Amino acid sequence: MDARNPILATAPAAAYPPRANRVRPGRRVADKILIAGSTLATIIGIVVLGSILLMLIVEGIKGFSPMIFTQPTPGPGSEGGGIANAILGSLVLTVIGIVIATPVGVMAGTYLAEYGRNSRLADLIRFLNDILLSAPSILIGLFVYTLMVRPMGTYSGWAGGVALAIIATPVIVRTTEDMLRLVPSQMREAGVALGAPPSHVIKSVTWRAASAGIVTGILLALARIAGETAPLLFTALNNNSWFNANLLGGIPNLPVMIYQFALSPYQNWQSLAWAGALLITVTILALSIVARLVIKDTRAR
Amino acid sequence: MSPTTSMSGQLAGRNPANESAPVRIAVKDLNFYYGQFHGLKNVNLNFHDRQVTALIGPSGCGKSTLLRTFNRIYSLYPEQRATGEILLDGQNVLDPKVDLNELRARVGMVFQKPTPFPMSIYDNVAFGLRLYERLPKSELDGRVEDALRKAALWDEVKDKMKQAGTGLSGGQQQRLCIARSVAQRPEVILFDEPTSALDPISTGRIEELIEQLRSEFTIVIVTHNMQQAARISQFTAFMYLGELVEFAPTTKIFMNPDQRQTQDYITGRFG
Amino acid sequence: MTALTQSLALARETASVRKGPSKGLDRAFQAASLGSALLVLLVLAGILGSIIYGGWPAFREFGFGFITSSAWNIGTEQYGALVAVIGTLASAFLALLIGVPISLGIAIYLTQLCPGWARKPVSMTIELLASVPSIIYGMWGLFIFAPLFARFVQTPVSNVFEGLPIVGSLLYARVPSGVGILTAGIILAIMIVPFVASITRDMLDQIPTVLRESAYGIGCTTWEVVRHVLVPQASVSIIGAVMLGLGRALGETMAVTFVIGNANRLSASIFDPGSTIASRIANEFNEADGMQLNALMALGCLLFVITFIVLIIARLLTRRAKLA
Repeated sequence: MDARNPILATAPAAAYPPRANRVRPGRRVADKILIAGSTLATIIGIVVLGSILLMLIVEGIKGFSPMIFTQPTPGPGSEGGGIANAILGSLVLTVIGIVIATPVGVMAGTYLAEYGRNSRLADLIRFLNDILLSAPSILIGLFVYTLMVRPMGTYSGWAGGVALAIIATPVIVRTTEDMLRLVPSQMREAGVALGAPPSHVIKSVTWRAASAGIVTGILLALARIAGETAPLLFTALNNNSWFNANLLGGIPNLPVMIYQFALSPYQNWQSLAWAGALLITVTILALSIVARLVIKDTRAR
Repeated sequence: MSPTTSMSGQLAGRNPANESAPVRIAVKDLNFYYGQFHGLKNVNLNFHDRQVTALIGPSGCGKSTLLRTFNRIYSLYPEQRATGEILLDGQNVLDPKVDLNELRARVGMVFQKPTPFPMSIYDNVAFGLRLYERLPKSELDGRVEDALRKAALWDEVKDKMKQAGTGLSGGQQQRLCIARSVAQRPEVILFDEPTSALDPISTGRIEELIEQLRSEFTIVIVTHNMQQAARISQFTAFMYLGELVEFAPTTKIFMNPDQRQTQDYITGRFG
Repeated sequence: MTALTQSLALARETASVRKGPSKGLDRAFQAASLGSALLVLLVLAGILGSIIYGGWPAFREFGFGFITSSAWNIGTEQYGALVAVIGTLASAFLALLIGVPISLGIAIYLTQLCPGWARKPVSMTIELLASVPSIIYGMWGLFIFAPLFARFVQTPVSNVFEGLPIVGSLLYARVPSGVGILTAGIILAIMIVPFVASITRDMLDQIPTVLRESAYGIGCTTWEVVRHVLVPQASVSIIGAVMLGLGRALGETMAVTFVIGNANRLSASIFDPGSTIASRIANEFNEADGMQLNALMALGCLLFVITFIVLIIARLLTRRAKLA
């Protein structure tokens, strides 16, 4: 009797036909196919990621030079140049986006977890927030174009920042709510039982208890908007020079720069696009990894 | 040896119930609902000043529900409501006009699981104080130390007041929560199964502490542990299926109860 | 006794002296949080409102014909959505066809077969794929994948099937450039895999171990455990995850714009270039004016309707799964 099969081992041998007949070949083949198929699928996934990273590193390093951090993007047909203006522009747009999205997202998540809970309004908002979370970002671009670019008569960094904020907000709402819900209700009760008004309990107890999770949500939102291209096409556009402090007119930014330069016929534009792509991907992967570490760190505690 | 006789050993030498002590909380015709569910049915009883009253009964009998009406913590949940009267020093706490925050400052509560806030030990104790009183630093320090002494925790934490409250052991955390309540100088302290998450040694310390706190505060404690009720309380209320079955001095409940149901529960015949 | 009543009176006095924190701030905080939550509603309504407003002239001009017409002529101002709608649906469908089996395979590998030490790094790698910006997938698709695909797939396949009925037109590349509907589908598949795989993995992980062990205990093979125990248990949420992936594939802009070829041509072959709603908006919006702008906004409306139906179904499925 086969020790690997304890059920069979305990039964009297004579009562059963030989084992080979019980595990029909078809079952074994199906099992082998499953194992081979799922292993293959995983290998494909890893190979694709590997090849994307390899491409970025090889092409990106070719385009890398100290100049990219000091020179603005070159005009069509001109030599050399860098992407310093696009880097700065991307930073500005992302900061505007996250500065708007963080208070709105955290407060809305707080409403869902602390005040609205299972009320109908909260359910509706939660549902629509989930929809907004995966809504096509290009539609958000169209919205902000109608809302800001058309009335203002010009593309602007403000419009780009607002578009990014709309993408970041649902991410922050969702994680904030999830993290606040993990705080045990006894903690809230204990705060309230000391006579603290609800807002005080939220600010000094619940938010603190969930702080690592909320920070993770903000980092994830940051990672999400740092590489967004579609909503910037009609809002911040792009520009091959430095920009004004009033942020009016086209604001240079990495994603749109990459899009335009990668598809251009100029050799130096293409290599700048690769350098930008490497820079942005590394930044985003780093943000995602840091976000994971933040949450893991507190779970361990 | 029947449980009753073993219990009587624990009862020996306890402070006797002071039935002439003034009434601090008077519960009148209290009914409680969780949505449609009728959780408490016409409960009437009195809690005496500076006495420990234990609420006992099988799970789901409404003892925690009753406790949670005294500081109206149930008001956090819209589907829960209470009717009747609960008079705290003559003032009906179920009155919608009652300032809940002030009520809760007067009626402290300690929970089943320790609930230290994610902040330093000092800030934990000062949490309630900072809400209601603007005290100069030196006075605040004094009140925090005083509360920690009363909670028998001072000697263990006096050198690490800036450390996180969550870093303490379970029993220490629970005493920290008691200190946090005591610091506000409440009139009544409610304990909701305060030792059910603790080991026997920590449980013993909390019980001693409750005995000491009795000299200053009116105490109501919910416990599923009958020996604990017998050890620390002067009065005991036995509840069953949302109704108050019997309320009497603890010695009477454990030695010579009037009701058959109480007798059965005490001797472990059901529940 | 007198001492006692005195101290009682004293206690009452200190109680009334207590001055609670201001009620106004508490109310303001609650109002601010409600306001922020309502803002989410407002934004969604704003998105819908703005594209309906922008697209209305096109709908009024072309009526229902806007959806059934394949014209897209800037000179004659004739616009129809058919090519873009079909391109969107076809590329998303191909993405599911390729992406879902791979996602399920990865999820099964991670939960059932993967040796313990490799689980974390492999699942982290897959999840990191989800955070790579879409424009990078587009560049990879155009510069790395498309040339290989043209050389090793399109050309040989076209040669083999040329002239045959159905497959001869479905899999025939007039110009084997590597870009087209199928390439877009493959890139989209790669983009939805991390999504679908990680949700499916979470669902499979949530199934109690007892259930798995009892199935193995009666002598089931891994395949049988997956087929008869795990998949039925998690099926609703897996379908929800697939729908989420579909929602993402339908609305994806940048990656598709790189590899779909951007042609307004109705072709029977999935090797041929086409366009999707999102890629057409991305390509033409900044130069558009007048009726073309309205037509692009109207395309946006269609995309909104399609993706939101899919997303609502997805959320309903995953939500119910969470409750179960």
